[in-house]
Amino acid sequence: MEISLIGSSQAKLGRSDLANRELGFINLKDGFRVSNDRVCLGKNVRWKKAGIRFTLRALHQSEPLQAEKRSGAGRRSKSVDGVRLFVGLPLDAVSKDCNSLNHAKAIAAGLKALKLLGVEGVELPVWWGIVERDAAGKYDWSGYLAIAEMVQKMGLKLHVSLCFHGSTKPNIPLPDWVTRIGESQPDIFFKDRSGKHYKECLSLAVDNLPVLDGKTPIQVYQSFCESFKDSFSPFMGSTITGISMGLGPDGELRYPCHHHLSSDGKTQGVGEFQCYDQNMLSILKQHAEASGNPLWGLGGPHDAPTFDQPPISGFFKDGASWESSYGDFFLSWYSNQLIAHGDSLLSLASSSFGDTGVTIYGKIPLMHSWYGTRSHPSELTAGFYNTVKTDGYEPVAELFARNSCKMILPGMDLSDAHQPNETHSSPELLLAQIMAACKNHGVQVSGQNSSESAVLNGFEQIKKNLGGDNVLDLFTYHRMGAYFFSPEHFPSFTEFVRTLNRPELHSDDLPNEGEEEVAQSMIKSQESSISMQAA
Amino acid sequence: MSMSTTLTLEPLFRRPIPFSITHRSSNPNTFFFPPPSSLSSSTIIKTPSSSWSPSHKLHAPKFQAFAANTDTLQPLQSSDVLFSKIFPINRTELLEGKIFVRLDQGRDLRNWELTVGCNLPGKWVLHWGVSHLDDVGSEWDQPPRDMIPPGSVPIKDYAIETPLKKSSSAAEVDNFHEVKIDLTYNSEISAINFVLKDEETGTWFQHKGRDFKVPLVSYLKEDANVIGPKKGFSFWPGALGQISNILLKSEAMHDNDQDNSKQSSEPKQGNSKLEGFYVEMPITKEVTVNNSISVSIKKCTETSNNLLYLETDIPGAVLLHWGVCKDDLRRWEVPPAPYPAETIAFKDRALRTKLQSRDSGKGNSVEISVGEEFSGFLFVVKLDENTWVNDKGNDFYIPLSSSSSSLTVKREDQSERVQREVTKVESQEESSSTFTDGIINEIRHLVTDISSEKTRKTKSKEAQESILQEIERLAAEAYSIFRTNIPTFSEETIVEPEAAAAVESETLVSPEPPKISSGTGTGYEILCQGFNWESHKSGRWYMELKDKAAELASFGFTVVWLPPPTESVSPEGYMPKDLYNLNSRYGNIDELKDVVKSFHGNGIKVLGDVVLNHRCAHFKNQNGIWNIFGGRLNWDDRAVVADDPHFQGRGNKSSGDNFHAAPNIDHSQEFVRKDIKEWLLWLREEIGYDGWRLDFVRGFWGGYVKDYLEASEPYFAVGEYWDSLSYTYGEMDHNQDAHRQRIIDWINATNGTAGAFDVTTKGILHTALDKCEYWRLSDQKGKPPGVLGWWPSRAGHWRFPSGKEMQGYAYILTHPGTPSVFYDHICSHYKSEISTLMSVRQRNKIHCRSTVKILKAERDVYAAIIDDKVAMKIGPGHFEPPSGSQKWSSVLEGRDYKIWEAS
Repeated sequence: MEISLIGSSQAKLGRSDLANRELGFINLKDGFRVSNDRVCLGKNVRWKKAGIRFTLRALHQSEPLQAEKRSGAGRRSKSVDGVRLFVGLPLDAVSKDCNSLNHAKAIAAGLKALKLLGVEGVELPVWWGIVERDAAGKYDWSGYLAIAEMVQKMGLKLHVSLCFHGSTKPNIPLPDWVTRIGESQPDIFFKDRSGKHYKECLSLAVDNLPVLDGKTPIQVYQSFCESFKDSFSPFMGSTITGISMGLGPDGELRYPCHHHLSSDGKTQGVGEFQCYDQNMLSILKQHAEASGNPLWGLGGPHDAPTFDQPPISGFFKDGASWESSYGDFFLSWYSNQLIAHGDSLLSLASSSFGDTGVTIYGKIPLMHSWYGTRSHPSELTAGFYNTVKTDGYEPVAELFARNSCKMILPGMDLSDAHQPNETHSSPELLLAQIMAACKNHGVQVSGQNSSESAVLNGFEQIKKNLGGDNVLDLFTYHRMGAYFFSPEHFPSFTEFVRTLNRPELHSDDLPNEGEEEVAQSMIKSQESSISMQAA
Repeated sequence: MSMSTTLTLEPLFRRPIPFSITHRSSNPNTFFFPPPSSLSSSTIIKTPSSSWSPSHKLHAPKFQAFAANTDTLQPLQSSDVLFSKIFPINRTELLEGKIFVRLDQGRDLRNWELTVGCNLPGKWVLHWGVSHLDDVGSEWDQPPRDMIPPGSVPIKDYAIETPLKKSSSAAEVDNFHEVKIDLTYNSEISAINFVLKDEETGTWFQHKGRDFKVPLVSYLKEDANVIGPKKGFSFWPGALGQISNILLKSEAMHDNDQDNSKQSSEPKQGNSKLEGFYVEMPITKEVTVNNSISVSIKKCTETSNNLLYLETDIPGAVLLHWGVCKDDLRRWEVPPAPYPAETIAFKDRALRTKLQSRDSGKGNSVEISVGEEFSGFLFVVKLDENTWVNDKGNDFYIPLSSSSSSLTVKREDQSERVQREVTKVESQEESSSTFTDGIINEIRHLVTDISSEKTRKTKSKEAQESILQEIERLAAEAYSIFRTNIPTFSEETIVEPEAAAAVESETLVSPEPPKISSGTGTGYEILCQGFNWESHKSGRWYMELKDKAAELASFGFTVVWLPPPTESVSPEGYMPKDLYNLNSRYGNIDELKDVVKSFHGNGIKVLGDVVLNHRCAHFKNQNGIWNIFGGRLNWDDRAVVADDPHFQGRGNKSSGDNFHAAPNIDHSQEFVRKDIKEWLLWLREEIGYDGWRLDFVRGFWGGYVKDYLEASEPYFAVGEYWDSLSYTYGEMDHNQDAHRQRIIDWINATNGTAGAFDVTTKGILHTALDKCEYWRLSDQKGKPPGVLGWWPSRAGHWRFPSGKEMQGYAYILTHPGTPSVFYDHICSHYKSEISTLMSVRQRNKIHCRSTVKILKAERDVYAAIIDDKVAMKIGPGHFEPPSGSQKWSSVLEGRDYKIWEAS
């Protein structure tokens, strides 16, 4: 919610400011049911006499204010009031055959609850494997359109995540026709050193190869985006305010260095380089030859550990190959491939959606395991050449800046104190580093938490991250479902939202508590009324 | 309305103050009376307060104009009068008057006289006390004896109530009441505090939501400023705040304030400089005014038009908005001219006619001629800017007829139809009031509240709280669905343990875990409903039942369900009044304890039937509505849900369906929940109940039940979630999943602390047996169609198809769920058959989560095997259990049913 203005200035604006504004929903007067009792009747009198005095600032101000905010943190108070909160919808909100919704009733109730709570919007994962399941170019958006409609009716915003990857939990594979192609041409997928394919997303090496029935994946993605844009044009820029472009495994810009990355990121091993599919290898070979070291292009580092091994020996050891010129050669190439991939997808998204008034996002992972070592092996295998010697996130932030995209960063709920000691993990430091890079390049960051299950002190950590002097403009909380609404979780989420909406003011500026809450509930109520009226 | 309980300081003010007096003063905390120089004068204004929306279809319960049941004869009525009807109009008017407070010096410096007067009619009582010099805060104390005027009544140890008397000195003023208090200089007393009470209406009048305070020492002011305001009293109902503010604005209050501050800027020492003063403050009071509108119709002899004569005794300018209609749809039309004098068209839909003052000088009337082509005359009445009068939320409707011969009949029809329509409208409104509507309303209230500075804080806090409650409720709803839904295409999704268990045991949902846990028993329970709808008639049912305790135990019952124990308006006990009065038509409290004890002695747990949804009131409120409770739980109308217009509750919107025969309790009120929890605990301890049968739980959210059960820790509990099954074209639908789901949702909302009667199974079984449609007993997935929770057999409401009772028992006593056997049946000639079935159940350890394999569900036979140990069939059709690995031997055969055991 754009609480910032109202919240912080309510006490001063007070009557004079608010009183002069017209209320946006005068029709409330006629629709107002005199249904209850005398108190209600009385109110009606008063209300009419007093006129209607407040405004829908929260709704109408968005665009100019955005610009203002972008110009720097100076104008904003150092509180969390400027952060808009989204909640992720269930991954399987739309069933595989796309024409039905899973738990529609629960989602409907959930949306109402979130709306009342003052949440700004919801995030909806839209799966390639569901929409374009049967044949290339045959899209079925019906289920997602139904959800968009529900969201719109509820007066919430929608952030769409285009998922060009598959998922095992819940089981949503890539489109059937892509899977079939993969059966005959397994090298459209990433392959690890042991020859195992990762089938939940296409290898970035085929981005521009016509492997999909004569089309390149980039072309297929582009058609998908165009179709999305057409189908959702009534929602674009109004209900749909953000689109995040799927960039790789789990939608993140990275290599599938862990074939099954645990959802909380608490991965022990360092992961593996994923450069062994035929196409990757041939690119590497060309690159090595071009750089005058053809022998370096025959494969990945021979002494890199396997997935779950800690970096105690081999490539990532202090002073080992990663610090050699071979290491630099390989790691630069490996990470540049990833950045080039990200660049083509984000520029695709920017050009596709640039005219819709929708903000484009891309997500990068928070590979925080082993951050405390010199070589940062987890980041290296994921494709970020970030070590004690090199800053791997500067080029990433620059990539986002170049494409005018905002960056989604997960793991905002993780704190160093709760990480296993032996992995030298530091989510906080890594976040700080990435955020600093973003700040340097003027890239705004949208936060996410890491997992669906409770992280110890997660909310506290999120608040801490949101409250700092940083570049966050939005936070997406994952994710609606049974646990989310469970008695052990939902109350603390409610509490979190409420504290999030409560700006921290200097005590002199602080209206007494009641008034302040009014200011907030005013906003909420206005928004709700509007949407209800519209519905 | 949370403020009511938490912030109360003095018990006397437990009820929020419906009226208040506003006074703008520079001092935000305590109002100090200014010196006499600042007298302000104002006129007494009479303003009707209530507002009516001009929208014609709005539902507005407060202003009730009842269509008189019988059309009363009017003086006007003569042989040619075709129709006449009187509509009583009960309006609430807001009278504005003044409170006068004067402090005069008496005989000497040590004697002062405080006079408090009021010029509004009423039975005024001054409720007052004193503050002592060493008091901190707003504590009251009893005044010294010599200050108390005769006729006063002490209230506890901190206040005095003194009635105001008709003033002798101001005889020329009507209704002027006053009271004088002699103050003897007393160094101990720093101030006199008072509020004014109108005993006619039971309402309190305060100063800005706080006590009036007359300081007797000047330096008190600073103290008072330091002390925080007593927020608990700041309840600002209705339009009072606004109107009073407007009034005050027109007065010379500004000067007042200045004087006030000037005074405070001259610090004085001690009491010697106590100054007299006189001040008036506006006060408002709602009074009910009874007027009527009478309408009569004559036939115009010349034109065959209908001549409609409307008169009313409502004083002042009255505008009639009227139109005519041609059919029953009552669509407003503007008839062709001529119109009466002073008529203007209003928005193309209606005419607005100013009524003419009657010759008698009292009231207004008009005569309108309406063409014979119109079948009805519609009107509403506008009294002033904000006051509209209509007929219980509908337009007033006068049937017209072109033919006088059929008129009598038609009239009957019409009025009947009016009634019906009114009811229909109401029920529609209720059924459409879903969550969201409720929330929208809340929000709208909230929005309207904001316009008044004063009410903002409290009101929106309340609204916010209720929004939070709605959020909580929605979350609970979402949760219950998410956790029961196994996502359709997630092969690897981790299934919630409960859901997994349910699938495993093939009973669709069975809330009871197999272990003993609070509220849900062991799963092996067999319940006896220990009374019938006539049991109250003997007056000694407890004693009759006590004699049967040993026998019931011998059958194998583990639980007995006793009738509702409280004092009740209906003899059966389901209209409870004083919850702590356990003398009912079934026996007195000692007999109840006795019967419970004897069941316990026989190893049978006892289920108390508690009615938490509604409660009958002891007293009427000032509008004559029964919504004030007495007895130990003397709740007021805040304990009543706000969305049933019949009971004018001031609580929150109901969290469930309303039961319309009695005030529905607002369980969202913390004080209500606290009281109910205490009561349940008391029943547990005092009577020895082991658990609860919860009546009409559809009426409130399962989350509250969870709260109650967690507090009272019953051995088990079962809710009566009575809901209708779905029918299409009068045929019961095969698929009753929605019905089942509603029950399951409720169970989930209680977090599994309670079971629910399996009304689904009962309903389906009824139809299956009654119509020989045994196929219904298998759902579309080949599973039992109900919740397989508890089995209801409540008599009186829904008697089992006669002669087929044993088929019913053959089903429920062999199937999962918790069977319940009706007392009448176990005492009838079915006794031996039922007890055999019960022993089959026990011998084979069939429990609430047993597995059912349906083998046949055809037109005339249903057959199933339970836990691979018991086979059963009901219905006239043929069935023999398959002779496979198991050998089946028949254990019981009766009319259209047969039971086998595996051997």
